[in-house]
Amino acid sequence: MNLKKIIVIYKKELLDLVRDKRTVVTSFILPVILYPLLMIGFSSMMARQETKLEQQQIVIYINDEVQDRDTDALKRSLSELETIQIMEEKPNFDNITYINLLKGKTIQAVVNIRDSLSSTGYRILDITCYYDETSEKSSVAYRKINDKLYEIEEELVSERLNEIKINNEILNAIELKKENIAPPEQMVGFIVGKFLPYLLIILTISGASVIASDLIAGEKERGTLETILISAARRNELVIGKYLTIITISIITVLLNLFSMYLSFQHIFMQMGSQINEFHLPVWNFALILLLMLPLITFFSAILLSISSYSRNIKEAQSYQMPLIFGAIMLSMVSFLPGFELNFGFALIPIVNFSLLMRDIMLNNFNPYLFFVVIGSTVILDIVTVYISIKLFHSEKILFRTAEDKSLKFWGKNKRNILNTQFVIVYYVIILIALYYLGGSWQMKDIFSGLIKTQIFIIILPVILILRISKTDLRSALKLHNTKPINYLMVFIAALPLLLLSGIIAQLINMIFPVSKAYLETMKDLVTMQQHGLLFTIFVVGVLPGICEEVMFRGFILSSFRKKGVWAGIVVTAVLFGAFHLDPFRMLPVTLLGIWLGYLAIKTRSLYVPILAHFLHNSLTVLISNYSDRLAWMSFIFKDENIAYWTVIPALVILYFVIAGFHKVNPEMVD
Amino acid sequence: MIEVRNLTKTFLQKNGEELFAVNDLSFKAHKREIVVLLGVNGAGKTTTMRMLSTVLQPTSGTATLEGFDLKKNPRDVRANLGFLSSDTGLYARLTAREIITYFARLYDVEDYAIETRISNLTKLLDMHDFLDKKIDLLSTGMKQKVSIARSIIHDPPVMIFDEPTAGLDILTAKNIVSFINQCKEEGKCVLFSTHIMREAERIADKIVMIHRGKLLAEGSWEDFMTETGLHDLDDIFIHYVNKIDGEDE
Repeated sequence: MNLKKIIVIYKKELLDLVRDKRTVVTSFILPVILYPLLMIGFSSMMARQETKLEQQQIVIYINDEVQDRDTDALKRSLSELETIQIMEEKPNFDNITYINLLKGKTIQAVVNIRDSLSSTGYRILDITCYYDETSEKSSVAYRKINDKLYEIEEELVSERLNEIKINNEILNAIELKKENIAPPEQMVGFIVGKFLPYLLIILTISGASVIASDLIAGEKERGTLETILISAARRNELVIGKYLTIITISIITVLLNLFSMYLSFQHIFMQMGSQINEFHLPVWNFALILLLMLPLITFFSAILLSISSYSRNIKEAQSYQMPLIFGAIMLSMVSFLPGFELNFGFALIPIVNFSLLMRDIMLNNFNPYLFFVVIGSTVILDIVTVYISIKLFHSEKILFRTAEDKSLKFWGKNKRNILNTQFVIVYYVIILIALYYLGGSWQMKDIFSGLIKTQIFIIILPVILILRISKTDLRSALKLHNTKPINYLMVFIAALPLLLLSGIIAQLINMIFPVSKAYLETMKDLVTMQQHGLLFTIFVVGVLPGICEEVMFRGFILSSFRKKGVWAGIVVTAVLFGAFHLDPFRMLPVTLLGIWLGYLAIKTRSLYVPILAHFLHNSLTVLISNYSDRLAWMSFIFKDENIAYWTVIPALVILYFVIAGFHKVNPEMVD
Repeated sequence: MIEVRNLTKTFLQKNGEELFAVNDLSFKAHKREIVVLLGVNGAGKTTTMRMLSTVLQPTSGTATLEGFDLKKNPRDVRANLGFLSSDTGLYARLTAREIITYFARLYDVEDYAIETRISNLTKLLDMHDFLDKKIDLLSTGMKQKVSIARSIIHDPPVMIFDEPTAGLDILTAKNIVSFINQCKEEGKCVLFSTHIMREAERIADKIVMIHRGKLLAEGSWEDFMTETGLHDLDDIFIHYVNKIDGEDE
């Protein structure tokens, strides 16, 4: 690689981008004017609105059913309030009429006064205040009435105490004072730290995405890419030059954002705080966040560059960027959530780690060790993504992808089209959505009947229907062939070792990301058949998923993806299978199980084998959850509801021999 | 000079079969010679040229440009090559001078030489009026001149033109043809692809006819007339296509 040439490319790209109005506006001008406009404008407008609301004339109606000296005094005090006007009583109006007036917003509150006697013989005034909480004006009316009534109550109580010659002081048994020990900087950090990461992440990625799509996909679209590819520059030099350009512009954007944000906050706090001298924004924290933004920017830039290399034109690049941007937004929102603290596990998840770390930095309370874990893991991801980007840039298949490559014309009459991967992906997404909304609501009502309905109506029936409509041969598409008996036997042997392995992986994940108690309870309820018998539970948890999920995944989906290569097909199907369980923490063990099931399906050329394996896996889970504490030898393997770690070794050994057995019995790995 | 030896490129089609875009193609192009690669659309001309410019990798066979091998020294091949086609674009927001300078640097032209080279090209292509204007503001003809200047800024010994006149008006196309002749006079080796028979007839020293990726015939215009007894290049081309189709069946 030639540094001089990288600089030539870098300089040209910068010049080109700076002349682009779109880039200048989104990356430079917007941040400078956005915050002052948003924050200062918005906050001063809010302050004004509030004052206006306070000063507005409020009309209330008082329905006094008592009419004596006390209530007269009470009415008088309320009418003395500056902005409150009491409506005259009209003889033909009843309470309901007034409440209707309140609904129609003619008046803002209705106060109804009755009285009763307490058990000690003192009179109590029962006052009901009707108001509309969705109306700001009405809420203000309620607050004012409430405050005033407190005052009046205090006066009345002290009068009563005076009558029986008791000092007021008797009421003060406890006096609570609150002292906030957080210094002003930390308070500011607490407030700002929640949304600062979110804002910064979104701004960075949206700014960088505009530039990235232009840099390679844009060159393809305008026909300039070929001219630089045939120049004497190397492809790595081109990629690095462009990569540095995205990083530079993004850094400038972030700098401008932070600077303008800092000044805006300063302005707001100065407006708000009476003790101006005490309110200082934590400058060093802002500086540290800026430093932290560097690896994040390089990470986003690398991904966006890969997307841009892959896409044929800017529009396509932007549509591929959408899921990335959405994902980033969702993940960055973690700083808003209570109870999420940065730990080693979260420090490894991109974006989530930055969001939480930035919040901690603003609170002046971060773990330096995790700081380096976050930066280190991101740098590794950076290197991987830049490498992918360079690889993509070397692939002629991707640089010269033709138009018909990605067309969505998959819907055809013959079976090849129905098992086409694009169709299957769309199908999968639709089923996933149905599972989330429809299946979710079914299972919410009743977990058992919900699970049965989900398996039948969402998972298996649509597959059968689609294959029937497309006149595909079910038997061959779903591999409904019998196989050698020994294959079934080996699945039996492998069942327990497999369950132990996937259980241990789940256990390890739970150690890093502790699961909520409520979730564990639901899962436990499900397998320990609280209301239903053992056989029924095994039917719902073991038999149904074994058949239905295998038909959809190892039958339908794998048939389609295996055309891309046997192992690629198995892995992709397994990942889809893992994601289908809608639980990020179970993703890994379920995906690994999916790989095993896919391997069985391909190796034995029979769907019955993975069906049996899946059934055994789920049913064993049920059996073990119910009987592990009743059988003596079980306590050897399971201790306090955890699987003993030593079991990994025998499990792996058995699995090794089973796999060797499968290879011997089924030598070919093709259909 | 260019020496193409058994050059082959296959693409994997959707149905899993291999498509031979270029099939065992061999020919030579010498210094001070214009060789025209002639074939209908889809014959494999662009694929051949993309392989010669090292943008695509040959499946088998190879070629040398000025003695540099496509596979072994791709960067040296590109450094000795100027490439122009009708669908290559220019950076709209840069000026003509900025684009030419950019490519000069990518081709390792020394800084001190860039100025002289640009002023020579400006004279040659008559670009004084728009050298410092942004590409956005230029006409098609002007843009084509900038593209020519871009492709030749490093004074390469070999020039490749991939259908450079496609979609251009007569006057602009004429500029290009005269530029190609000029390249020949300067002693460059020129490879030119087209599907227009007249164009080939007019400027070629040698014609290489290809069809479905395969070589049909190679020779001068006169050679073909003598061999086939025909006088029209269209007829001659069809004659060879029929001949190879007959052999295939």
